[in-house]
Amino acid sequence: MEPPATGAAPGTGTAVTLENVRKTYQLGEPVHALDGVSLEIPRGSYTAIMGPSGSGKSTLMNLVGCLDTPTDGTVVVDGEDVAALDDRERTTLRGTTVGFVFQTFNLMPRLTALENVALPQLFQNVDRSERRDRARELLDRVGLADREDHLPNELSGGQRQRVALARALVNDPAIVLADEPSGNLDTETEADILDLFAEFHDAGTTMVVVTHERHVAERAERIVHLLDGKIERIEALDGAGEGSSSPSSGSSEVSEFSDSSGVSP
Amino acid sequence: MRPLESLRLSWRSIRGHKLRSSLTTLGIVIGIAAVIAFVTLGASLQAGVIGDISPDDQRNIYGWAADPDTEGGPLAGAQPVFSQDDLDTLDDDGDIEAAYGYMPLSTQALVYDGELSPQSDALVAAGPPYIRESSLDEGEQFEQGEREAVINPAVAGQFEEDVTVGDELTIALQGGQQTTVTVVGITESSEGLSPFEGFEPSPRVYVPTDPFYTEDAAGAIPGGDGGPGENSDADADQETGAGDDALFLAIIVEAESADEGDIDGARESAIAYLEGDDSDAGELLGDDLEVTLQTSAELLQQLEDVLELLQNFIVGIAAISLLVGSIGIANIMLVSVTERTREIGIMKAIGAQNREILGLFLAEAIILGVVGAILGTALGLVAGYLGAWYIDLPLVYPYEYVALAIAVGIFVGIGSGLYPAWRAARTDPIDALRYE
Repeated sequence: MEPPATGAAPGTGTAVTLENVRKTYQLGEPVHALDGVSLEIPRGSYTAIMGPSGSGKSTLMNLVGCLDTPTDGTVVVDGEDVAALDDRERTTLRGTTVGFVFQTFNLMPRLTALENVALPQLFQNVDRSERRDRARELLDRVGLADREDHLPNELSGGQRQRVALARALVNDPAIVLADEPSGNLDTETEADILDLFAEFHDAGTTMVVVTHERHVAERAERIVHLLDGKIERIEALDGAGEGSSSPSSGSSEVSEFSDSSGVSP
Repeated sequence: MRPLESLRLSWRSIRGHKLRSSLTTLGIVIGIAAVIAFVTLGASLQAGVIGDISPDDQRNIYGWAADPDTEGGPLAGAQPVFSQDDLDTLDDDGDIEAAYGYMPLSTQALVYDGELSPQSDALVAAGPPYIRESSLDEGEQFEQGEREAVINPAVAGQFEEDVTVGDELTIALQGGQQTTVTVVGITESSEGLSPFEGFEPSPRVYVPTDPFYTEDAAGAIPGGDGGPGENSDADADQETGAGDDALFLAIIVEAESADEGDIDGARESAIAYLEGDDSDAGELLGDDLEVTLQTSAELLQQLEDVLELLQNFIVGIAAISLLVGSIGIANIMLVSVTERTREIGIMKAIGAQNREILGLFLAEAIILGVVGAILGTALGLVAGYLGAWYIDLPLVYPYEYVALAIAVGIFVGIGSGLYPAWRAARTDPIDALRYE
């Protein structure tokens, strides 16, 4: 009754596919951080994920970002079944197909802006000169060409987040994953960063933004609302919303569905 | 990631904590410096000792009779058992070029041109070959049976006016007797001519055993144990046991050449005769004593063994500070791993493999170890130089230890960095990114 995992990732159309994904933590008693989530993120889309704390946002992000593996179900990122990969392969997949933007910027404090942007390519064995050229190009695109030799603590919050965005894009990832990207920014810089996101989205980058702020989420094409580890509803915006491929609006239905079916990756 | 890139990144984080890194390195610096300094001093000391054997000495075999259980250097526990007859017989042996007695004699003073210079233990009685042609600066060897002497520069320069060949020198013996000798030769250096004398420069007058020992000083046969310097309390009665019955404390047997076979041949012939029933020595040896015959190289080997033991002991102590130093590195690396948990999380999130994280932290520990080793080596060599200069030794740098020190630095780095680096490598990126 369920298509095999390979069929669930139909080549170029989908950046990330989640199917009946469960993540259970053993904290004395089992806690279901995600409880049967199915979601498709098409290439070139702009998705926001919203939900109160404890709804499973972070867990979902860790799974999509290949930082974690599901307890049950399949996560397919850029055509690869994440659970089937060993740690090293997963790290490589993460390094090449996912770009992270964090709320707290998470730049390396002793590296300059340029070096921070170039760092992901260092781990992919790209030549130094090539790395620097690519990093310069991206810094230029986020408007920080004149700040390449500055250390993170010499940059403002907005500038740091631009550096982080440039770093996320440096390996030409299949998806950029932003966790509360404007959480530490004032309103004005927030707008700048979100404009940049939109700009890169328009240029073809797949964006996923995890946030709990409505006005940030509204910049996306659709909003996935999470509640208690399940997808509550998917809200399409600006008429750009697709005929949601995940039939998960009825959360109880989904959980029944995943409970009954033994997933076989 | 390429090794050079990890080194570059690691170097950056070391430079980010200058004070902490230098203090960490200090333990290694001190440890390596101490080891290198002591090894340098040890090597210089050995060179100072070995450098004093002239090549001519190589075919001499030095012999004495002592209890085989006696520990110590040349002449330790030696008893006088060798008679002139024994030596004459050995001298005629086909395997032996020459054999003669050796006897340090106690003196009270040397008198030259009316000027008196107090001097104990300055007189050495031996056979003419003891003064090798090559060690003479001017003049010639003394002759057996003549009242002639060869002096060393320390004696020659001791008086207001330098003693020269042909001059007469009066020697006041222990016990008040006086004897006058004609100086026939002066040696090149004031250092000892054989291991029996020791190697320090000191004033010495070399005279033939006949007549100076066999006639004049035969009564001063030393008693029990002790080296050349300890026979001064012997009975000063000159008349008893005089003449041909005088017994020598030590003998020198000269082989045909410095060739190992010749030396062994001479040694075997000498031992066979001296421990046999035909010789006076054989009779006197009894059950307790055994004849030891060794070349100066062999004697030095014993000294070197002692020096080496001492050096190893000190190096061992110095190595403890190396151990403390590596614990310091391990400790700092652990602190550093904890402190940089978040950075580790970032690097892993953006694609750093576990082994790359391991490599980064290991490289950091190795850099600390190697930098410490290099600085320590430099400091140790300077300290060794100053030490050798102060003690007045020929400076010998143990270069193989410099290479060893760098290797130790790498090893210490790996040893102390492995566990912290492993901890860093297996940090979970999700936890690490959440770490405040």
